[in-house]
Amino acid sequence: MNRYGKLLGLVLTCSAIMLFMTATAGMAEEKKLTVLTWNIPYFEEGFNQWVTAFNKIHPDITIERLDKKGSEWSTFYQTQVVAGTAPDIIDVQGGLWLEYASKGGLLDITDYLERDKDYTERIYPEILKSWVFEGRNYGVPMYISKTLLFYNKLMFKEAGLSAPPTTFDELLSFAAKMSGGEKTGFMTLNFDWLYWPLFAVNGVELLTPDLKKAAFNTPEAIALVETLAKATASGAINKISWTGRWVEPNGTFASGTVGMLQAHAPAFLWFKSKGDWVNEETVGATHMPGGFSTPNSHSMLISKSVKYPDAAWDFVKIATSGAGAKALGTGTNNLTGDKLVNEELFAYFEKEIPVVIPVLKTQLEHLDKLCGNWPAAKDAEIKNAFYPELQSALLGQKSAEDALADAEKKVNRVLQKR
Amino acid sequence: MLLFKRKKTRETLLIAFFLAPSLIIFVLYRIIPLVWNGVLSFEFWSPYKPAEFAGLYHYQEMLFYDDVFWEVLLNTILFMLSAPLGIVLALAIALLVNAPIKGRNIYRTIVFMSYPVMTVAVGIIWQWLYNEKVGLINYILISLGIIEEGIPFLESFNLALPCVIVASIWQVVGFYMIVLLTGLQNIPPSLYESAAIDGANSWQRFKRITLPLIRPSIFICIVIGIINSFTNFDLVFVMTQGGPGHATDLLITYIYEAAFTLSKFDYAAALTVVNFVFFLGLALLANKLSGGEAGAVETGD
Repeated sequence: MNRYGKLLGLVLTCSAIMLFMTATAGMAEEKKLTVLTWNIPYFEEGFNQWVTAFNKIHPDITIERLDKKGSEWSTFYQTQVVAGTAPDIIDVQGGLWLEYASKGGLLDITDYLERDKDYTERIYPEILKSWVFEGRNYGVPMYISKTLLFYNKLMFKEAGLSAPPTTFDELLSFAAKMSGGEKTGFMTLNFDWLYWPLFAVNGVELLTPDLKKAAFNTPEAIALVETLAKATASGAINKISWTGRWVEPNGTFASGTVGMLQAHAPAFLWFKSKGDWVNEETVGATHMPGGFSTPNSHSMLISKSVKYPDAAWDFVKIATSGAGAKALGTGTNNLTGDKLVNEELFAYFEKEIPVVIPVLKTQLEHLDKLCGNWPAAKDAEIKNAFYPELQSALLGQKSAEDALADAEKKVNRVLQKR
Repeated sequence: MLLFKRKKTRETLLIAFFLAPSLIIFVLYRIIPLVWNGVLSFEFWSPYKPAEFAGLYHYQEMLFYDDVFWEVLLNTILFMLSAPLGIVLALAIALLVNAPIKGRNIYRTIVFMSYPVMTVAVGIIWQWLYNEKVGLINYILISLGIIEEGIPFLESFNLALPCVIVASIWQVVGFYMIVLLTGLQNIPPSLYESAAIDGANSWQRFKRITLPLIRPSIFICIVIGIINSFTNFDLVFVMTQGGPGHATDLLITYIYEAAFTLSKFDYAAALTVVNFVFFLGLALLANKLSGGEAGAVETGD
């Protein structure tokens, strides 16, 4: 055999060995469930507790854990879905799940919830409703959060204000009183409809009740947007409200130059970690005027492609109730969807981190005034059609009338097209 | 086996073996996705449902109903047209640091330093420089009495794109400078000496000798500038996330948004086809302008 022949033989032998190894690896594939969590890489001890509890009832199934930052989560999940390797159990924030549920990517868990009454009765029914699409349940609460109003007591005192605002007009007048120089009076987070309580308190609806048409282009809404734009131009409302996402607004509030911040509960410990001045004496927590809030809870859902749905459901129950939920609550400093566990968590926080108690109390109040959580299949597209137009009006680029008319046209197009 | 006994055949087979890994990777990662993307753009497709033929639906949607598409296309073109600004600036710096001045190597290093910095870091640095309340640029402008209140550069619909372009030019200008400097240093000094003897002034020497002889370097810079305008995803994403509104969205960021924020993979595929065709057109034009031999490798015997 000449040298070309030898070389050829070597290449073919290597290829055969690799093929054999790949094939045998496939045959020996273990039973496994993959769990994708949302930016809680530090939650290791509690997660292992879930796995131990799960393996007591399913010793033959291995749990593989993946964790992604919020900014990467959706891209990662979508890529895995396209590749046909969707994680089996997913921890999703806000309304992202709607897109997946409406396209048939999630497992309908209605029957499981009806079957396991012991579990279902532990969960807040108002919160459980957040994951209903077209009458079917797709998720259960993992940890709960909704928006509230944080206020800088030092700036309130400086401006001669004794209590937080109770009406929308008060909110704006207080904001104006506290603004000037580098200080601004009010700021809100804007992603996932978190700013919607400002609209809800003024009676503005986004869509018609059947979710088929835009309902926001009204004289009242135009007047409201004009008012917000004026307050933004004057500095009463910080512009970052309409341009920042998470770090920018919370970071600015942490700098101590903003009077009020409308944000969801997890923001508190974040800005506290950035601002040494933050404590019970300096920052208050209350409801937005009217008691409206936008939920932004995290839920656990199961991908439709799951190979072992019953086992996946068992894992979800372990993680979201009883000892598993308590581990999550203490590990991430949040309340859970389990009513009984939350009683224990309040006792825990009272002892360990009393500063969060006023914030957490707001999370279980006014559950009948949740807003900005429409179960619309095209939630992300509607948001994308609506917000840039609203933003252009709020930042003075367009008139409120033109912006809302353009937004209406775009939202209706989204709702009507295939 | 007679086939393998011929020397030429054996050599061809060996060449094929050596080329195969690269070719397989090229087909797997370039050709197949490209073709599949083209097919996807004519379908209603989601990872959860079987595909359906859509004809030109996505293209109609893009061209006749999607205002944002036209906005981001214009932004991409503006971004691309800004490349010459960076090249002119880099040429000026290259001419300066090519002159026999003291410490020119230090100046060259300082100017080049921005290029190896990670784009994400560049975005964060410029984001803070532009900050309305605590940004250095506003601080200087206020200190000099030019403005009374900080300008919200990145929150402004009119200023955000130029601001991102400035950051992009800042990052790449050092690289352009090195490319142009290499061109400048390849010009024989005797040409300048002859021209000086013939009475040519410095502008005439620049116009008649320098510019024509560094044309290949300028061409490379233009091509890199065009590529940058189509691929500058990270800088935009970090600085503005395409906002306010879609004021700083480029085609590439809009494609990402369509696919991964809105789960419209089919529509994103149609946008990608347009992006590809547009880019291909520009590449062909650039190739033609350079004499049609761009990228050709000389294989002299």
